[in-house]
Amino acid sequence: MKKLALAGLLAVGLTGCSSEEPKVLNLYNWSEYMPQEVLTRFEEETGIQVVYTTYDSNEAMYAKLKLLDDSAAYDLAVPSTYYVSKMRQEGLLMPIDRSKIEGFDNLDPELVNLDIDPDNKFSIPYLWGTTGLAVDTADVEGEPVTAWADLWDERFEGRVMLTNDMREVFHVGLRVLGYSGNSTDPEQIEAAYEKLTELMPSVRTFNSDAPRVPYLEGETDVGMIWNGEAVMAEETMPSLEYVYPEEGIIAWLDSFVIPKNAKNPEAAHQFISFVLQPEISALISEEIGYATPNLAGREMLPDEVANNRASYPTPADMTNAEFQVDIGDEALQVYAKYWEMLKSGR
Amino acid sequence: MPSITRQPFRTAVLVLVWGWLLFLVLAPNLLVVGASVMTRDPGTFISLPLNLDAYRQLFDALYLEVFLHSLYMAAMTTLVCLLIGYPFAWALSKLGKQRQLLLIFFLIVPFWTNSLVRTYALKMLLATNGLINSALMGLGWIDEPVQMLYTEGAVIIGLVYLLLPFMILPLYSVFDDLRQELLLASHDLGAGRFATFIHVIVPLTLPGVLAGVMLVLLPAMGLFFVPDILGGSRNLLVGNVIKNQFLDARNWPFGAAASIVLTITMAILMLAHRVSKQRIGEEGTG
Repeated sequence: MKKLALAGLLAVGLTGCSSEEPKVLNLYNWSEYMPQEVLTRFEEETGIQVVYTTYDSNEAMYAKLKLLDDSAAYDLAVPSTYYVSKMRQEGLLMPIDRSKIEGFDNLDPELVNLDIDPDNKFSIPYLWGTTGLAVDTADVEGEPVTAWADLWDERFEGRVMLTNDMREVFHVGLRVLGYSGNSTDPEQIEAAYEKLTELMPSVRTFNSDAPRVPYLEGETDVGMIWNGEAVMAEETMPSLEYVYPEEGIIAWLDSFVIPKNAKNPEAAHQFISFVLQPEISALISEEIGYATPNLAGREMLPDEVANNRASYPTPADMTNAEFQVDIGDEALQVYAKYWEMLKSGR
Repeated sequence: MPSITRQPFRTAVLVLVWGWLLFLVLAPNLLVVGASVMTRDPGTFISLPLNLDAYRQLFDALYLEVFLHSLYMAAMTTLVCLLIGYPFAWALSKLGKQRQLLLIFFLIVPFWTNSLVRTYALKMLLATNGLINSALMGLGWIDEPVQMLYTEGAVIIGLVYLLLPFMILPLYSVFDDLRQELLLASHDLGAGRFATFIHVIVPLTLPGVLAGVMLVLLPAMGLFFVPDILGGSRNLLVGNVIKNQFLDARNWPFGAAASIVLTITMAILMLAHRVSKQRIGEEGTG
């Protein structure tokens, strides 16, 4: 009798599995980088449940993806430019089946078929944005802040915030010295480190989780911020201005990629197509303040969003702008060492 | 082995405990030791050949300084915990049994909430426009908000807040065992309150102090999320270096070596604890 009951239970369990596929999409994304509404609507339309996990740096995302590679913990991730090329070259990604992607043609021709991924075989652009200067005009008096170099000004002692991102912080140091933000020259990196140590007494905090928060908390008045965060902060803190530094802004493009061993690539393709719908792309850009590469979506934006210079820079704003590229492992170690030294404040 | 068949419960417990220790304590630690003597590899994180480069790297002046600074932060935390915990535990042991249980319960309740959440709560209290500053300014005691968040002080406050119970509990247990007769004897033999404290109470509670120090000092060096949240993401603790090495720099051997050094420090402290306990045992009998 007992055996019979057990068999019955097993049978129920088995049919329970086979009648319905496990419809779950494991999405691994930057924190605060996807409106909840988009996830809800996707779940309603497709019946696929989205398990949403976040990270606050490319490095953390890369390490976890690589570690959990075989257990296939994630179906979709959103690395920045230079990590797309790195992960593609290391064979960590699954090719994207373009026949299953709708709306690819809506993407800005200038943001597809880039060197990081020729022909977009492995990546589909999600959002692009910039890292520039945030200035709380209510608390900053005197000369307006127009350049990265202004952060070194004595009047900002203890009031500066930097992102908790090794590459971005060194980008600033390198640009102030007139070098490329993608430098791999150890001497230039060291010079940038020396320059940044002069800034450290002014630095109150590093934050890449939600860089607008220290400004909203009143802890910092000036420093680095991502444009979308600046747009999000505007609502509660109109005095926070987004400034394009004279030395040139840091630009990046984040793209959807499917890890090689993803359990549910089908759902991943469906999600990409869902986001590429002009209406959804517009919704995302409006909600979180970053620029959509989807031209059809951009046309649907309300004027105040489409004309917001923080989200959509003018060609003049992009003078000297530099996209981040992969610098290779050797240079990475050099950066990492100086980053430790910088952050331990010695 | 008849005992095994006759005592299934005992066997099950033994298997469970040994299994737990082998798979969740010994094996992970051996993996860490293994990783620390391997070579850094950008493709697979770690690879052969075996070498001691990671340990050599630890002697870099930079990391020595980080370690010393971390030790300083942890020592300050331990000192504050001791200064609050010692009188607290003493007073606790003087109360009636019912009240003691109630207070210990209150001490343990915060553990039901995740420590990360509690650290964020602390952040809201300490921020420039946080609760403490608003209250002080509302009362007119200060004109300008005091900068508390993103300082070393904030990190120490956070560490003390999280670790204080670990100091109080072992101290409470030694105070609870403190026999009144010994204090009375000391008194009868002419010792004043101060002399009794120095010559009787302190030596008898020393094992509790050492146990508390052990339970606070080492975790205090490793709780990387406290400096991340309250200290502005600087490398104030060894824990931050370990985390950065594993995640950002992807230098696993080095991260593993740093964590081994922490373990060894812990082992030395435990040894000291045993020695002091033995000494007290000898004095007690002799």
